[in-house]
Amino acid sequence: MINEFLNMGGYGFYIWTSFLIVTVFCFILYYKTKKTLKKYEKELAQELEKLPIEHRKRIARSSKVISSILASQNKLS
Amino acid sequence: MDFFSFGKIIVYIDKFIKFINSIFFLVLIIGLSFALIISPMDYLQGDTVRIMYVHVPSAWIGLSIFSIIAIGTLLNFVFKIKNLYLFVKSLAPIGLLFTCLAIVTGSLWGKPTWGTWWAWDARLTSMLILMLFYVFFIMSFKIFKDSEKLPQILSAISILGIINIPIIKYSVEWWSTLHQPASIKIMGTSSIHSSMLVPLFLMLLVLLLYCALIFLMKYKTEIIKIKKRNIKRL
Repeated sequence: MINEFLNMGGYGFYIWTSFLIVTVFCFILYYKTKKTLKKYEKELAQELEKLPIEHRKRIARSSKVISSILASQNKLS
Repeated sequence: MDFFSFGKIIVYIDKFIKFINSIFFLVLIIGLSFALIISPMDYLQGDTVRIMYVHVPSAWIGLSIFSIIAIGTLLNFVFKIKNLYLFVKSLAPIGLLFTCLAIVTGSLWGKPTWGTWWAWDARLTSMLILMLFYVFFIMSFKIFKDSEKLPQILSAISILGIINIPIIKYSVEWWSTLHQPASIKIMGTSSIHSSMLVPLFLMLLVLLLYCALIFLMKYKTEIIKIKKRNIKRL
């Protein structure tokens, strides 16, 4: 029964290759996008780390983007 | 216009990403079960019809995203809305991916049904042209990164590219092509049975959720890039 399912009436190669290609390329784009996002989040957090703590707190209070990034990086002190 | 501030947007982005992550795999499993197991085989094409469940949503997404980015680019050119610029920049790679996937899966469907991987007929060629427009669009962001001409270049590509969209849509009616005419009609009765329509829309939902997830992550990345550039001014 599993062989029958994998064989797909003799068209298994075309069907499984189609689904596999879609899965692989969607995963690659997801992985690259997530990696880039994490990289920029980390870089921004590192830039903020260089600032004096009072300045950093003031920025975090005034900018939701910054406070969200700092919170996600667990660097809000 | 506080609703459209980056601060507000990023809060909603995080909420949407969490929501999509929580339901994605459930919807994916249901969609794949319908597409690969529950849906019946076609009386003529046999099981090859299952390729439709990834091919057709990919093509719809590829066409829709180009239409959206073309409208967005033109609106940005006229009204200079920064959010629209980030919006189209984040959408374009997703559109390119799905246009490529539509072409590749179409080729894999074509071999067992038409007997050939590729034919230079109207539908296939116009899809290939759409892919090239996507490539030009994305390359423009890299080549003319700091140029003031970028909005004009993007608008020119969008105008030329949008002309191709109705050509793709009606190519199967205007010319004699290997590609079958549309089975699903927004206006009028569709010639596809509900047992195949349900898996098709489930797989469309899966891919739309995926697109939303990638778009939100890319959009968030663009916002962070801007904040990083402007950090000294904060």
